[in-house]
Amino acid sequence: MQDSSNFKMFSPASCRIKGVLMRNRFVVLIAALAVFLLPPVTAAQAPPRLPDGHPNLQGTYDLATLTPLERPAGAKAILTAEEAGKLENEVAARKELGDRPISGNRTAPPKGGDGSTGAAGGVGGYNTFWLDPGSSYTIVNGERRTSIVIDPPDGRVPPMTPEARQRALSRLWRPTSDTTQSNDPGLEPPGSYDNPEQRPLGERCLLGFGSTSGPPALPDYFYNNLHQIVQTKDYVMILTEMVHDARVIRMNSQHLPKTIRKWMGDSVGHWEGDTLVVDTTNFTDKTRFRGASEDMHVVERFTRVGPKALLYRFTIEDPATWARPWTGEYTWPATDEHIYEYACHESNYALENILRGARRREADEAAEKARQ
Amino acid sequence: MRMNLYLAVLVVALLLAASMPLIAHHAFGSEFDPNRPVLLKGKVVKVEWVNPHTWIHVEVTNPDGSREVWMIEGGSPNSLLRRGVTKDSLPVGTEIVVDGYQTRDHTLKRANGRNVTYPDGRKLNLGSSGPGAPPEK
Repeated sequence: MQDSSNFKMFSPASCRIKGVLMRNRFVVLIAALAVFLLPPVTAAQAPPRLPDGHPNLQGTYDLATLTPLERPAGAKAILTAEEAGKLENEVAARKELGDRPISGNRTAPPKGGDGSTGAAGGVGGYNTFWLDPGSSYTIVNGERRTSIVIDPPDGRVPPMTPEARQRALSRLWRPTSDTTQSNDPGLEPPGSYDNPEQRPLGERCLLGFGSTSGPPALPDYFYNNLHQIVQTKDYVMILTEMVHDARVIRMNSQHLPKTIRKWMGDSVGHWEGDTLVVDTTNFTDKTRFRGASEDMHVVERFTRVGPKALLYRFTIEDPATWARPWTGEYTWPATDEHIYEYACHESNYALENILRGARRREADEAAEKARQ
Repeated sequence: MRMNLYLAVLVVALLLAASMPLIAHHAFGSEFDPNRPVLLKGKVVKVEWVNPHTWIHVEVTNPDGSREVWMIEGGSPNSLLRRGVTKDSLPVGTEIVVDGYQTRDHTLKRANGRNVTYPDGRKLNLGSSGPGAPPEK
């Protein structure tokens, strides 16, 4: 191979000269080997690898999708390309409509509230111009899915056990990072606003809300959906754009003792073939994903399914909350977009405003009582 | 098939409508007062392009001639940056119109920016270099 004349033989021009090749057995042998060796390097199914031989999962991924966690009632599991395209066009049209100019001579919104419900609590949020939600359905194995949940097959999270429901009820007054409790329209019972520590982790800029940080890592249907994976032989780090959470996964390691618990749980990883498997336990009772107990067990599987995509699959097990384990999966498309700084604390005026609002409400109620 | 699709559209729309406010950073309802609608017209004096929410400071002139600075809560700036909104999209001195609701603590001159527009009604400039420049796209 040190003979430079042999290399010349491999140049495209000389390869066309069959006679030359046929006269040199060595070259034929090398050519045959090249044919044998080259395809695995270039074929789509062979992932790029790091020096340790494992697939390179590194990169930035945009988790935004139109596919909800649970399949809407009555919807079928898989959309045709045409059906998905139609729905995606409608979403794009709504977004375009929302971005259009409105009257500069408009009046103030109505007194008593604008009719928005939920966390928007009659005051609305801000217009679609500020939002960056998903624009297409996730595609797994060529299928356009209508739910992230794939097991149970109906695409719905199994019903909570009666015990878990009871637990959730007793905790209603205790805010958590759980989506169902982190965003009330200002109607939480007394005590919920007594001090900042009573407020949800997301509102306090401590943890991405709506399980954006995970595990399981779920999309947000508003904005800030980028995740970055950094990978070494001994550690894998997943950075979540929302609230800037970094989860460090120890490779080939044991779990910490049960007495050591973390908001994002304790994650250890190993490779099963070309799939990174991450096992997480040791949660706290502060995060409570969808009402789960702190003994929730999450197994995530990251598999490269193309040069520009990972398949992310997770299985949740928590007998204290769901009678059976359940599994979800969706594709993480790679993106060239940048993750910008998320210095959430620095100007989190919202938390101050919320607590001040509660003090104001208390003062109003006290004044009302005194008048009676 | 047509019925199925219609149902899917309806359901997805309902789902989005139901889930979006739930996933917002915080409860707007506990921060802002539905009984205090505001319409603010004035000039930008400062913009804090920060997470979790942008804050736009705007100086408004009251009917009696006095001036006060209001702070307007907008969305997360990360996605705006990716769309091409930059510091130049809202430079100091830009005339804007804001509709929203004041904070529940009325001593604060703060409101949510349900709609933040230029006087001509455009929502914001993308990739422009001045307040009057038309959007590139």
